[in-house]
Amino acid sequence: MTETILAVRGLRKSYDDVVAVDGLDFEIESGQCFGLLGPNGAGKSTTLALLEGMELPTSGSVTYRGGALPADYQDRVGIQFQATALQDYLTPFDNLKLFSSFYDDPISMDRLIEQFRLGEFLHRDARRLSGGQRQRLLLALALVHNPEIVFLDEPTTGLDPRSRRDLWDVVTDLKADGRTLILTTHYMEEAEVLCDQLVILSHGQTLLQGTPKQLIKDAGVVDLDTLFLSLTGEPLVKTQEVIE
Amino acid sequence: MKSAMRSLKRMKAVFVARNLEYLRDRASFGWNLVFPVLIVFALAVVFSGPTKALFTVTTIGQEALPELVKFPGVESLEADRTKALERLSRQQTDLVLEVRDQSVNYWVNGNSAAGAILEILLQYTEDRPLERGETDGQAIRYVDWVVPGILGMNMMYSALWGVGYVVVRYRQSGYLRRLKATPLTKFEFLSAQVLSRLLVTLTASSIVFIGTNLILDYKMVGSIALLVLIALMGGLAMITLGLAIACRTESKEFADGLLNAVTFPMLLLSGVWFSLDGSPQWVQTMAQVLPLTHVLEAARAVMLDNAGFADIALHLSVLVGFCVVGMGVSIKLFKW
Repeated sequence: MTETILAVRGLRKSYDDVVAVDGLDFEIESGQCFGLLGPNGAGKSTTLALLEGMELPTSGSVTYRGGALPADYQDRVGIQFQATALQDYLTPFDNLKLFSSFYDDPISMDRLIEQFRLGEFLHRDARRLSGGQRQRLLLALALVHNPEIVFLDEPTTGLDPRSRRDLWDVVTDLKADGRTLILTTHYMEEAEVLCDQLVILSHGQTLLQGTPKQLIKDAGVVDLDTLFLSLTGEPLVKTQEVIE
Repeated sequence: MKSAMRSLKRMKAVFVARNLEYLRDRASFGWNLVFPVLIVFALAVVFSGPTKALFTVTTIGQEALPELVKFPGVESLEADRTKALERLSRQQTDLVLEVRDQSVNYWVNGNSAAGAILEILLQYTEDRPLERGETDGQAIRYVDWVVPGILGMNMMYSALWGVGYVVVRYRQSGYLRRLKATPLTKFEFLSAQVLSRLLVTLTASSIVFIGTNLILDYKMVGSIALLVLIALMGGLAMITLGLAIACRTESKEFADGLLNAVTFPMLLLSGVWFSLDGSPQWVQTMAQVLPLTHVLEAARAVMLDNAGFADIALHLSVLVGFCVVGMGVSIKLFKW
């Protein structure tokens, strides 16, 4: 029996006269990998920030297990931001130690180092890591406190094919652990492979919602990219195109 | 209690991380030590010669001054009595004059040959009754006077840029947003930044202080403990000022401008390079609203005049005020 862990009702966020998120309604089940899909400017990152509790909505609500976001919500969620810097001159080891010390009961550093294969660059200046190594470190930092919900904002953007596949494996393992994953992505294959449920956004509004297979089947198209193009006239990015 | 321990643990972690970042940035670390030493030595060499005027006279008031002050080779400036006598005891002036009713009061330093010559000249040229006062005290070299200024200036740059600029850099790069997504509170983050930079500032100042004193043997007659207290309060006042500047600023360029706008007046008006004794009153009043002025006046009083706690209590109180306001503004307005 699945349980709704996060529910969004009439969610709206505007900045001055720009409406970034415009009346979203959806639910996220516990243990699910939930994908927010859309082109640049669709409102994915803003929606994610509202779900993370990093931003407050202009109107509407985000509820956690049927109630308001609890005071210790940040202890329950792990966030991998799309673009985040770390302190200069610190190594992955220093960063793991720093972020672990923010929490009462962190996962052992040895386990994280093994799980995210950080050993080979554990004592290297974090500024000198490759894109894939850096993303693995950021994911490890998001998970130091063993959160039940993990937010991943375009986790594979800018990665080479090998690193992208590596990260998919990590995300698949996290799903197998029973964590709830919420990710944004530009990439169709990524969404099809990883996500159980998708919301396709455009201009801050929901265009379609459902499982990847259901969406493709209902629309009578061959893939999500064709579906998205038919809905908005804007193509999403195919993984192979990015690789090439 | 448990919550306080958790809070301390998080503060300690951020404190250690910031120290590591600073220590591993060898260029900045080295520059913080080398730059003030170079300046002290350069000034010691450049200003080691005699001053241009043959004699300097400090007057208390401007009315009906003796003819002596207009003699060629005599330079005069005005100050209140406390300042004037303080200058005389340091032999920064050779004679102090005050005209009262129909008599002329004057003070000389018993250890000053220039003072003795001026006294004779005054006795020959002045018709009004003279009343003599005497003080003592050894002459101070320019380097004795400027060392506290350079240490204070170094502290100011280290404190303001080391916190203000760094916090804005963290914000611009998204690092603060990453920290916001953890249980770390604003107070914990800001306190760790303050303590880390205070440690760096005090350590660098101590190394420069000891290193330059070994070679130049400048004057230090007061209490080391009081000097440390002044450095502590001065460092805190300027670090919290840096935090207040950085608490909402999002652009490094704007932060740069704001930090320059704060440091430049202090560099000019706080008495880093030269005394403001002869400057207009409004300039001296303006200098009193700058934290560096209080750091330098207190430090010079301790180092050159053996001042006690009571003598510098007012300066320390002003610095405490700066700390309270700076930290209060920072916590209230801070944006991750």
